[in-house]
Parts: sequence; C-alpha cells; structure tokens
Amino acid sequence: MKISVSATAVTTPRKVRAVSIWLVAKWIAAFLVALIAILPIWWMINVVFSVPGEPVSINPRLYPTSLGDGWAKISMVLTETEYFRAYLISLLYALLTITGVLIFGSMAAFEFALFEFPGKRTFFAIVMLSLMVPTAVTIIPTYLLTAQLGWLNTMQGLVVPGLSSAFGLFLLVQFMRSIPRDMIEAARLDGAGHFQIYWHVVIPLSKNALITLAILTFIQTWGNYMWPLIISSDPQMYTVGQVVGLFNSPLSHHTVDIVMTANLLAAIPPLVFFLIFQRKIVEGVAMSGTKG
Amino acid sequence: MTFLEIASISKSFGPVNVLKDVNLSIKEGEFVVFVGPSGCGKSTLLRMITGLETPTSGEIKIDGEVMNEVEPADRGTAMVFQSYALYPHMSVFGNISFGLRMAHRAKAFIRQRVESAASILRLESLMERKPGQLSGGQKQRVAIGRAIVREPKVFLFDEPLSNLDAELRVQMRTELIDLHKRLKTTMIYVTHDQVEAMTLADKMVVMNGGHIQQAGHPLTLYDDPDNRFVAGFVGSPRINFLPVSVKAVGGDTIGLSLEGSDRLTKLAFDGLDTDSDEMELGLRPQHLRILKDDEQALEQELLLEGDVVFVEQLGDVTYVHVDVSETSRIIVRADRKTYSGQSRIRAAADLSYAMLFGPDGARLRSRSLPTQ
Ligand SMILES: Nc1ncnc2c1ncn2[C@@H]1O[C@H](COP(=O)(O)OP(=O)(O)O)[C@@H](O)[C@H]1O
Ligand SMILES: [Mg+2]
Repeated sequence: MKISVSATAVTTPRKVRAVSIWLVAKWIAAFLVALIAILPIWWMINVVFSVPGEPVSINPRLYPTSLGDGWAKISMVLTETEYFRAYLISLLYALLTITGVLIFGSMAAFEFALFEFPGKRTFFAIVMLSLMVPTAVTIIPTYLLTAQLGWLNTMQGLVVPGLSSAFGLFLLVQFMRSIPRDMIEAARLDGAGHFQIYWHVVIPLSKNALITLAILTFIQTWGNYMWPLIISSDPQMYTVGQVVGLFNSPLSHHTVDIVMTANLLAAIPPLVFFLIFQRKIVEGVAMSGTKG
Repeated sequence: MTFLEIASISKSFGPVNVLKDVNLSIKEGEFVVFVGPSGCGKSTLLRMITGLETPTSGEIKIDGEVMNEVEPADRGTAMVFQSYALYPHMSVFGNISFGLRMAHRAKAFIRQRVESAASILRLESLMERKPGQLSGGQKQRVAIGRAIVREPKVFLFDEPLSNLDAELRVQMRTELIDLHKRLKTTMIYVTHDQVEAMTLADKMVVMNGGHIQQAGHPLTLYDDPDNRFVAGFVGSPRINFLPVSVKAVGGDTIGLSLEGSDRLTKLAFDGLDTDSDEMELGLRPQHLRILKDDEQALEQELLLEGDVVFVEQLGDVTYVHVDVSETSRIIVRADRKTYSGQSRIRAAADLSYAMLFGPDGARLRSRSLPTQ
C-alpha cells in the first residue's frame, strides 16, 4: 500500500510538469504568431493617433497618445482627398459582386447539383477547368472583351467579369449535392414549381454555404487590386486599393501619418468583417478544402 | 370497379429492365401493400404512379383518366417517403402547409386544413417545432400530415416505418389502419417486411424480379400461393421445401417418395400434368408433428428424420430446425411437451395441407381441389 501511494505521488507532479511545459510552449508560439500579425496594425494605430512625428522621433512611443490628432487626420483624409468616394466605390463594387455571385452561383449550382440535363458533365468540367487557369492568363482577354463592350471606367466593367465565380459554383454545388433528393421530390409533389423549389427549399437550406461564399467574396473583392487598376484609369472610378496606392507611391506628397491613416481606414472593413464572421470564415475555408 | 389501373407497365433504366409488363387493378378505398425483396422494383412502381418516374411503356389510369402525361402534383396522389423528407428549416406548420402555400390558397383555408390534419394526427401541440426537435414517430406523423392536407385520391407510402424501432413500428401500423378507416382513401403501401404486409393489407401484391408474382388477400396468398416464391415469401417462419420424386400416378392420387428414401407416400392429386418427375413439396412448419420414440408415422403421412441443428424456444412455441438431408433443412413447429431436447428427431407430415411445385417453381394444383 505505502509503496504504491508514494509511487503515484512521485509520478503525478512529473506528468503535470510535462504537460505544462508543452502547454507553455504552445502558448508562447501562439503569442509570437499573434504578435507578428498584430504589430503592423498596432503600429498603424499608434502612428495615426499621436502628434505627427512623435512615434518615429528619437524617443519613440509604442502606444497612441493623442485621440484628437487621430480624428483630425481621419477627417482630413475623408474630406480633403478622393478617399471617401473611393470608399463608396469599393463598397458598391463589393456589394454588387457579392449579390451577383450569390444569385448566379446559386442558380447554376441548383441545376448542376440537383438535376440532370444534356451535357451537364461537360459543362461542369469546363467550369472546373477554369479553376486551374491562373488569373494572369485570363486577365488580358477579359480586359479586351470589357474594353470592346465600352465598359472601361464603369461600374459594370468593374463588377461583371467577377460574377462568374468558378470557385463559388464549386462550393455551392458541393453543398447542394448533400440535399436529399427525396426533399426535392417531396416539394415537387407538393406542387412547387422549379423556381419555388429553388427559392423555398434549396436557398434556405444552403444558407450557411451562401454566407460563407458572401464573406469570401467580400474579402477577395475588397482586396482586389489588379482588376480595378487595369479597368479604371479614371481617378473618378478608383477603388480604395488604388487610392491607398496613390498615397503610398514614392512621389506622394503626403506625410507618413496621412499615409498610415489611409492604410488604417482601408484595413478597417475587412478587420471588422473578420472579427464578426471569424468562425464562418474558418468553416468556409475548411468546407472548400475538405469537401472537394 | 377499378379505381387505379396499371396496364402493361414496363420500366428500364438504360439496359436494366426493372419492371416487366406489370398489370394490376386497385379498387377505390383499398389498402394495397406491395411487398417483395429489396431491389425488386416496388419503389419504382410507386414512383411511376405518382409521376416521379416515367414508364418506358404502358399506361397508368386513376379514376378513369390516363396519368402518363399528368404532372406529379396534379395526379391526386400524395406520397410519404421513407426518409420523411421534411423541410428542416420550416416548422411543423410550415411543413404541413407547404403544398397549400405553393398553390396560393387563402390563409384561413390553409389554417383550417392544417388544423384538422393536425388533430387527426395529434400534432396540435407541436406546430411551432422544427423537424430537428421531433422524435421519429412524430416526424412520421408530420410527413403523413403533409400528405393528408392535399386531400389526395391515393396515398402512397414507401417503406414509411422502416426507420422506426420495433415497438413504435407496431404502434404506427395500428395508427395507419385507423387512419385508413377514418379517411377511407385508397392507400398503396410499400414494404419489404411480409409481416407488416400481412397485418395491413386488404390486398397484398407480392413482387419479385420485376414481375407481380401474385396479388390477393394476404390469407389467400398464404393458403393458396401460385408459385414457390410466394409460398416461400409469405408466412413466418418460412414454409419448408422438400425435393420429392413422383413414383406412381393413380386416378386421384400420386405416390411420392423423398429424395434418397424408398418409402412411398400417397398424396391426393388429380391430373398431374408434367414432364418431369422431380418436384418440390411445400409444407408449413405447423403441419409437421414430432413422433414419440415408439410412435410410427401413419401410412398417409410423410416420414422425416434428421439431426436437430438449432432450436428457437419462444415459450408458447418451439421451432426445431432439422437437417433431413445434406441439402434440406426444415423447421418443425413444436412445443415444450412434444420437444424436450432430443438431438435427433423423427417427424410426420400431414399431406392434406401439402403443396406441390414443379421444376420451374409453378404451383401444381389438383384438378378436383377448388382453386382461386
Ligand atoms: N434512377 C435509377 N437509375 C438506375 N437504376 C435504378 C434507378 N432507380 C432504381 N434503379 C434500380 O431498379 C431496381 C429496383 O429499384 P427499387 O424500385 O428502388 O427497388 P425496391 O424499392 O423494391 O427495393 C434496383 O435494382 C435499382 O438499382
Ligand atoms: Mg424501395
């Protein structure tokens, strides 16, 4: 009896120590990764919300000191430059793209996932093949086509080419394939027409996949730099990305504070979005990765 | 008076011929059960009646009207699926009212119809629940409710109880019989379970290999099967089949002997008409009796002898499984008095209930016996 008790008494703390070292190591690693990710954002906030020049002086500060200066810079950027217009354009660009991708993607996925029609496999294979072609290859033909339509420097030129999302179709088809065939047939027997089945049964059941696709589309559109750059040479049509590019350019006459303000404002929407939808985004990435 | 008529229906999926020239007529208000092994085409036939599948050839008529080209929703049929197929994002009310809402019926009308269906099915207190919050039996009732509100001319059920546990299944069976009594609507019910079929059916349709093997009242099929398949499918435990050879044909009797035995037993049979002498005898387990040690089989009885391989003791009855030859195993119905643990038994069979099957599996019927 005594021996066994002392034996456990010896082993238990050892076990605890082993576990806690491992745990501490994990925490340190996680902390370092978080630090690396957060530091640039924190630096932006620090530079914006302080007296101009202070954070980069001989005696730098790692925390914001002046809220007033920050607001002043932000209102300056929004009112005295083209920034606010670009903001609205980016927002419209993102919203229209999301709406379009959801409508076209869900309708096409509905047919591909749940019905038979001649040539279905071939069409789907073609769409999936386009997933493998890098954007760099298609961007020039797409530009030429858009230019021929006379859509340079227009909102439709910005939005329409992005509506055919092979990735979105793929994601939705994978999801809708899991809807039981019985359910579609039950709806048909209940007298629901083709569109009613789509609207009353399949769309509500695909809500999660649609939200995921909307989020991923938002992140992609907001961060899209190349296509707006190519399609709109007119500053009236600049998106946030392009305007921030102007601020950042070597010939820019703005000070570091102002440039940082522009950057911070551009980063806020995706950050807020990410904080709200963090779980969905992770799920979405997992879904598109594992279900294929 | 035929209400639903299936006339020479065939169905192929590509090269696979699933149903071959199926003919069936169903009277109004009948409870019809399609029964057969898995994959024999029961669901396919049901789906063609409701219009989810198109026949390759043949005609389906409901109430005198050819239905082949009519949309599923307009045929006056309602179907309950094995998986229930409830819409998970809608409440019970939403599920039951879905068809009426799609048809843009008035709100008050919908409410009244749904409430009356709910009261028949005792679902009133569950109207706001989602399917995910219901038990299997409740889901089943919602699925039936969805069918009832459409006030169909024909209800179709595709193995609706197979996802329920045994106890609930028995309870739902009685509820279905009750429902049929109240609504008096024609019901067609598919199952692979012959016990379920026998308890529910006014008319039992046994299917196999894309053909209807026999249709009729369950007890008719039990007492007087048309072929070996129906004899083997209907009845639990299964009928025993014994290979026999015809040794003598008299005026109204024939002399049979078991394979590998010289003992000749007479069977009343008039007009045996077959080329082959090798036949099979069908004997239900209750028509065999175990002989005591010193007891002899009567002259008109068939004598069977063999090793006991397995015993099912169910209290009131005992089923003794016996190997009577290398290839034949039979089941004898006994009880605790007549069977007390012997490892080898002798049994005598009363041949007045025996059935004879030809080499092709068809039933050979005596001319003088009444046939149905
Ligand atoms: N849509 C289909 N395509 C190809 N074969 C099918 C299809 N539906 C059913 N079958 C085949 O038809 C046969 C009968 O199926 P089914 O009617 O579902 O049988 P049961 O309901 O009696 O179990 C099966 O062999 C099945 O594989
Ligand atoms: Mg089936």
